[in-house]
Amino acid sequence: MKNTTNLLFTALAVLLLAAPVARAHHAFSAEYDVNQVMEVTGTVTLVEWTNPHVRFYVDVTGDDGEVVNWDFELQSVNTLVRAGWSRDALKAGDVVTVVAYKARNGSKRANARGSVVKADGTQLFAGDPTAQ
Amino acid sequence: MPGNILKHQAVILAACLLLPGLGSAADAALRLPDGRPDFSGLWLGGGGIRGIKPGDEMIMTPWAREIYDYRTDPDGNAANEDPNLMCLPSGVPRMSPYPWRIVQTPMNPDESHIFILFEGNIHSYRQIFMDGRAHTENPDPTWYGESIGWYEGDTLVVDTIGYNDKTWFSFQGHPHSEALHTVERFTRVDASTLSWEITIEDPVAYEKPFTVQTEAKILAGELMEYICTENNTNIGNMRGPARNPGN
Repeated sequence: MKNTTNLLFTALAVLLLAAPVARAHHAFSAEYDVNQVMEVTGTVTLVEWTNPHVRFYVDVTGDDGEVVNWDFELQSVNTLVRAGWSRDALKAGDVVTVVAYKARNGSKRANARGSVVKADGTQLFAGDPTAQ
Repeated sequence: MPGNILKHQAVILAACLLLPGLGSAADAALRLPDGRPDFSGLWLGGGGIRGIKPGDEMIMTPWAREIYDYRTDPDGNAANEDPNLMCLPSGVPRMSPYPWRIVQTPMNPDESHIFILFEGNIHSYRQIFMDGRAHTENPDPTWYGESIGWYEGDTLVVDTIGYNDKTWFSFQGHPHSEALHTVERFTRVDASTLSWEITIEDPVAYEKPFTVQTEAKILAGELMEYICTENNTNIGNMRGPARNPGN
């Protein structure tokens, strides 16, 4: 179900951890392309609250009416928990707008460190985008 | 007589100021009851090969340069060969950006081991033998090597050999060989700061030894579990045991 009243935040809230600032892990740029930005709105079908990366899957309905399930990657459980998030933050059935960086290999996978915003405007998982 | 008392006091005061250990960075609050420096706490940061000591240089040998160029080739795919991506150990001194602990063991009557516990990477540990033993003659190469340690004043010194050549020093892919020998010096500078110096000696990979000066800070909280293999979707890029190109 599309939600037209989303507030879209493109600015990132940077959370400084006590550690030295982590450079963008090379695995990020090996797998994802920061120049291929996507923005979609859809319904969460599954949340995998796991390490090394939390993942969540979103059904996105295209203009042609076809539903595509996207696989989004976030930071680790450990990083998200220390930034104040819990596994209840996102659930199947939630409607979200995601700004993400596409996988280089053309698959339906992207890195959602751009932005994840719920239908009610809550920005989720904001934190150091370069953290693991 | 007052003069003599003052002179005695001065002598005592001077003696107190000159006694070794007093006024050192590890004051009473940072010592274990038996006088050893206290390394307890949840540490975050430190490690890696950035922060080369002024005057030192990291100069790769041709052997190392060839591997490094292969790994950093922007048109290549070697970035996916990083052992970390396959949830394999980071080795020494590479560190994941997750906390860790130094766990000292009781004097019973002497300290037998120190363990370094890692939350991240493979959620494992390093074992440091503190009982005064020497290195074994020809240890089997392992990811974390064979470590022996001792105290020099307030500094924990850890000497390690017996590394395999499978870990990367950095995410770019700085290589090392099985000839790697590291000497680490851990010093608790103050309640929240740990100085961690690593001297890297590997004549196969680097023209001369170099020292990296790093620092960890105390983080509030506890170690969390981190099981890298529970949902590592990088499986598609895995190819066999970690190896240097050509091996």
